[in-house]
Amino acid sequence: MKMIQAIVRPEKENDVVLALEAKGFPALTKAHVFGRGQQKGLSVGAVHYDELPKVMLMVVVPDKDSETVIDVILQSAKVGYEGDGRIFVTPVRESYTIRTGEKAV
Amino acid sequence: MMVEIMAMIRRDKLSETKKALEAIGLGAMTIQTVNGRGLQGGNMMTDIDPVIPESFDSVSKITSSLTPAHYALAHSLTRPVFWIPKRMIQVLVPDTKSDLAIKAIMEANRTGKMGDGKIFVIPVEETVRVRTGQRGPSSL
Repeated sequence: MKMIQAIVRPEKENDVVLALEAKGFPALTKAHVFGRGQQKGLSVGAVHYDELPKVMLMVVVPDKDSETVIDVILQSAKVGYEGDGRIFVTPVRESYTIRTGEKAV
Repeated sequence: MMVEIMAMIRRDKLSETKKALEAIGLGAMTIQTVNGRGLQGGNMMTDIDPVIPESFDSVSKITSSLTPAHYALAHSLTRPVFWIPKRMIQVLVPDTKSDLAIKAIMEANRTGKMGDGKIFVIPVEETVRVRTGQRGPSSL
């Protein structure tokens, strides 16, 4: 299994979630985070924003589905300017459903 | 090798989970407030997440807190997305202790209803304790 952590623009969160749901991935976790990228934040005139608000979406999917999910996020979160975010893919060894104790590898 | 155990649990089960983990000698953890939804797509029935603050009766809940439908309307969204508030705990343990920790979390959180949460086990290559610079399982 793979965990796909996508850090996207807060205003694109709804689009990404609905696009994932349409492809059959309704289950995910989100957290509101602050961060900065290679541009070291954002400068607007004399004001410098060092940490920008983003939304982190975490989806765990079987190995074969990870490319689909990445494609969907890439398309739905894209604006075309710096600050669109990043996608990280992490291996997940096991996953358990607490209610049933069921294990998936 | 070490593993990171990432568990998404109910808000009201956090203290029980902490106690269960402390009982097997795992006091160190990271806790984060997250929102999530499962395979049911975020069904907000009260028996899935029964914790509603007592100060909120049904009327004040509608007027004072922003419902997903209200949010969708205010932001011109096509459809609201329903999120369920959850707590995420992350515990780093040596490989040998992972089964014990998973069992403890499962037993503390199982109610048998939908929304009990998930546990993910993620391999971790290296850890460093910042204060001493120790590496590996001894730094946990």
